[in-house]
Formats: sequence, structure tokens, C-alpha cells
Amino acid sequence: MTQAFSLQGHVYLAVSSRRMAARIEAAPYEGVIWVRVIAEDGQELARAPLADAKIDTALGRTARKLTFDDGTLFETQDHAGFEALDTGTRGARLYALERFGPHLIAFTAACLVAAFLLWRYGLDTIAALAVAATPQVVVEKIDTGTLQTIDFAMAEDSMLTNEEEARARSIYARVLAALPENERNTRDFELLFRAMPAVGPNAFALPGGTIVVTDELIREFPDADVIAGILGHEIGHVVEDHGLHRLYRSLGAYALIALLVGETGPMLEDILLEGNALLSLSYSRAQESAADEFGLTLSHRAGFDPIGLKIFFERLGAGIGDDMQWMSTHPNHSSRVEAIELYIRGLE
Amino acid sequence: MSLEQKNNSRDFIFKGNAKEWFGIWIVNLLLSIVTIGVYSAWAKVRTKKYFYGNTFVDGRNFDYHATGGQILKGRLIIIAAIIVFQIILTILPVVGLFLFIGLILLFPWLITRAMVFNARMSSFSNVRFDFVGTYGRAALVYLLYPILSALTLYTTFPILDRTVKRFTIDNLRFGTAEFKVDIPLGAFYKAAVIALLWVMVVAAAAYLTIASAIIASPEDNPMAVMLTGYAVFFIGLIPAGFIYQALTRNIIYNSTTLSGGHALRSNVSATQLFWIALSNMLVVVLTLGLMLPWAQVRVARYLSDHTGVEIGSSLDDFIGTEQEKATALGDAYSDIEGLDVGLPI
Repeated sequence: MTQAFSLQGHVYLAVSSRRMAARIEAAPYEGVIWVRVIAEDGQELARAPLADAKIDTALGRTARKLTFDDGTLFETQDHAGFEALDTGTRGARLYALERFGPHLIAFTAACLVAAFLLWRYGLDTIAALAVAATPQVVVEKIDTGTLQTIDFAMAEDSMLTNEEEARARSIYARVLAALPENERNTRDFELLFRAMPAVGPNAFALPGGTIVVTDELIREFPDADVIAGILGHEIGHVVEDHGLHRLYRSLGAYALIALLVGETGPMLEDILLEGNALLSLSYSRAQESAADEFGLTLSHRAGFDPIGLKIFFERLGAGIGDDMQWMSTHPNHSSRVEAIELYIRGLE
Repeated sequence: MSLEQKNNSRDFIFKGNAKEWFGIWIVNLLLSIVTIGVYSAWAKVRTKKYFYGNTFVDGRNFDYHATGGQILKGRLIIIAAIIVFQIILTILPVVGLFLFIGLILLFPWLITRAMVFNARMSSFSNVRFDFVGTYGRAALVYLLYPILSALTLYTTFPILDRTVKRFTIDNLRFGTAEFKVDIPLGAFYKAAVIALLWVMVVAAAAYLTIASAIIASPEDNPMAVMLTGYAVFFIGLIPAGFIYQALTRNIIYNSTTLSGGHALRSNVSATQLFWIALSNMLVVVLTLGLMLPWAQVRVARYLSDHTGVEIGSSLDDFIGTEQEKATALGDAYSDIEGLDVGLPI
């Protein structure tokens, strides 16, 4: 700005809501540009070097504002005129980006692509990085903590006989031996037995390598092939870090929605959360299928008949309805049995 | 529908438009994604500034003054605290339990801080708002009363809700002027009963229709029970929420005064609010979220159109107070937890 200029607007007096019509004038004085606010009656209300006044970044057609140190506020709707006071700043560039124009089509496309990539790959990458950054000590502590909770809430000491336990351990040892050495050594694998009448025949793996098998499983499915298949499945969960992945993925999705989308208003919020929960269920089902395949390969390599896993799900599936797969963390039994058959054919 | 019947009445006017807001919103979103969420703090400021700056009463607008840096700092601290808390909770469940109790005691502090931050960062006509609620009072309102309410099987929910509204409004200041709300309890109970009746009517209707459609007896049919559940949720509970909110919003605004003889007015309708929310949801979902800016502007315009103020003395006579600092921690916490503590505009 090289010459004096003047702009109509309103002034709010310092620390007060009093509003009156006024104009702002800017003029160079001894190499510095000064701004002055002058009321309609000609009285000067504020004066400062332009560099000391605070100018809010332009935002849509909201009033342009210039605030003096003492709290006097000048505002105007004359956007074109005000630009002379605010040129080449970062705010001016941001304002140019936000204006409605053809470039927004490209921005929109970029956002849609980015949102898709974020959902499809980004979350997995974030989860994988977080898993890699989680120290082994922490993971093992998760096992200890979770086990305490399980023992407190739903498990009793195992009632298996020594023979039953020894037999299960020998199957476990054979399956684990089939695991490549580097994968076996990076984890602290441990097999535990618990009586869990409410859970029934089942087994689960904790992220650090603790695998818990229920008495009900050993008693109701004494077939070595079945036990080998299930142990292989659980080892698969551990080796592929499924538990931690799922934890980080759901935390990441939640944080992304909260921070990127912000307030969506009622109803939409419910839909977003429901949708996110449904998607994470499908993710969990994909993990189960991956662990099935891992278990089939591993028990097969250990010399067991992979048919064992199929027998297990066929028996479990009998007598239970199979609809509503999309509502479950696990694939339904019949589709699981089909997938297993297909995979076994590939193994042979 | 205009509230301007007397010459000392002024409507709230929202001057933003969807086209303009779309540009700002999409740039917010793109920069937030590109910076892996860091820009979202600045995006929040631009969002608030846009909606505040476009809301006018008597030619004067609202404004929002927080900076992106302030909000980012608060968010980073809260996220770090949540991560540490999660780790401790999984590693040492027993210590985690004590921490959890600590967090519960911290909650009233965080929520008061959020209200203080929001109030101090908001202004109207060059005068800032402030919030003077204390921790002790917040602990009663947000910890003790909810427990008592649960003990009475939520039959005292209207009392709880009125206490919360009194806490948030009676402690709000505009410069040196004080807000005051005086609501008869009966009005809250009336709103709750109407909402509850709606749910019961829908539940009964849904149960009868679905049960008769499925020939098997509904007790044995999980499908029928689930469908009834969904119907009650979407046609019953969600609209009931709107009925309650619309009715109480009107009561609350119409009973709120500000020193200087000013009084707030509201006449929103539950049916219209519900229709706006429902159609917004459909449009936004069908356009993959791209119509969200339009939906937000639509809500802001509706609420402004049905909010007003009866001016007592002059709007020129408010006096600001000394600027005090405010921490953004509570604000970040409420953002992440999805709590709504903004100015009740």
C-alpha cells in the first residue's frame, strides 16, 4: 500500500458491546503504515501501526475484522477494499483455496479417494505400525492382565486328568514344532487349561502367545486332528497379531471419525457408529478365516489330518441356525466348513 | 415463522450458505487428511468461526477466538493420556481400576474446563462470554445426581436434566451480565411424559404388526424380537429424543433472561426438527457425505429462524471483562468423547 485509503464499516468500542458506524483509514507515516478508526462525528477512536493490529483470516462472506491491542474492533463487509490491508498472507491463500470454483471438484475427488484409501489401507497401516511399536513386554503383560480377568470372571481350575493333559500337550508340541523357528522364538508361547462350562468347547489366544483351551473341548473332541486344527488356528491368531491389530484398528477408526468428521448432528452420528461397528465385525470375520487357513496349513505340516477343523465346525454347526452372519464376529459354521473343504483340496 | 411480533424483539439470523460452506469444509477435510489429522484443530476453529460469524442478532454477529495451536495442544495431551490409560488398564488391571476412579473424579473438572474454554473463546458484539461453574457443583450435577437418578430408575430424569440445564445456563456470563434460567419442573416432566408415550405407542404398534406378520409365536422367534427392537429404536426412541429436546429447548429458552431485561425466545417444532434430521441423514448417506455442509447449514438456519431475543435495555450497554486464560484440555476431551458443550445457540 503506497497511498492513503479509507474504508466504511462499524466499530465496537474496547471491552464493550457499543457499536457505531465508523471508517478506517490507513496511511504511511515515517516508513510505517498506520491505521486509524474514525467515528462519523470525526472523533478518532483507535490508532496503531498496521503491523500491530490483529487481522482475522478471511472466511467466506463473514465480516472482515481488525482488532487493536486495547480491544477496539473494526469490522466491514467491504471484502474487496479490506484486501488492501491483508495481502499475500497465509490466510489470503487459504481463503483463495476455499472459494467456490472448479478446483473444488479436484479437492472433492481427492477427499473421496483419500477417505477410501484411509479406510481400505490406512487403518491397517496405522494398526501395523502401532503393533510394531508395541514392546513385547507390554504384549506379555496384556496376557497376564487378561488372564487374571478371565480367571476372575468365568474360568475354574482345569479338571482334566494328567493323561488327558499330557496327550493335549504332546499334540500342541507337534503343531508348534511345525512353526518356522523364527516365528516360534519371537513369541512366548504357553498352553493353559481351564474349566469353562459357560463357554463350552472352545479355545482362545491372547496376543502375547498364551493359548487357553477349555476342558470341554478336550473332553468333547478327543480326536487329535480336531485339537491340532484348533491349536493351529489359535497359533495363527498369535503369529499374525490379530488381537492387537483389531484393537488398534478400532481405536484408529474411532479417533479418525471423531477428529475428521467432527459434529455431524443427531442420527447421522448413530449411523456412523453403527456402520463402524458393522465394518469392524467383517474385519474380525476375515481374521477368523485367515486363522482357519493358517491352522489348516500348520496342522497339515505337523502330520495331522486337516479334516479335524472341519469336523469341529460341522459338529458345532449342527443344531444352530446359521442366518445373520453379518451380525457376528465369526463366520457362520456352514460357510466356514465350505471354505475349509476348499482350502484342504488346495493343500493336497 | 417469525418471532418478531413486538418491535423490541429480534430474530437470530443465519447468513451462511451451503455453497460457500462446502468450499471451506472440503478444504478443512482435505488438509486434515493430508496432515494426518493435525489440521483438524484449525479446521475446528474455521468451522466455529464460520457458523458463529454468520449468526446475527440486530446486525451484530457472534465470533469464535480460539487458535488452532491451542486446540491441537489440548488434543495431543488428551490423546497421549488416553493411550497411557489404555496401556495401564490392560497391563495392570488393578492399578487401572484406581485410575478409572480417578478419571471419574476428573470428569466434572474436564467438563467445566470445556465450558469455560468454549465460553471465553466465544463473543457477541465484541464482548466475550465466560463460565463460572465450580468443580464442586459440577461433581454434584455430573456424578452424584446421575447416580441418584439411576437409583430411582430414572423416574427423576427430568429433575436431573433441569439441574444440568441450570448449571450450564446460570453459570454463563456475557461480559459482566448474568444469564438466569427459571424453569418450572412440571414442564420438564410434561416433555418427558409426551416422549415416553410416543415410545410406548410405537413399541405396541411395532410388536403387534410384526408379531402378526410372523405366524410363529414371537417369543420363540429371535428375528421378530430383533425387528421389533429396530423399529422401536428408529421410529420410537430417536423421534422421542427429538420430541423431548424440542419441547425442553423451547421451555429453557423462553425461561432464560440476561441482566439488562433481555429474554431469549424459542419456538422450534419437534416434527420439523425430526424431519430435518431424517432427510439430512438420507441425503448425506446417499451422497457419500458430500452434502453434509448443506445439511449443517440447513440445521443452523432452522434453529436461528426459531430463536430470538426480546431486548430490554440497549444491546450497546454490555461491558466486557478482563481477558482470562483458558486451558483447551477439557475442550479436547469433549471433542474426542463427542460431548456437546458449546454455547446453547
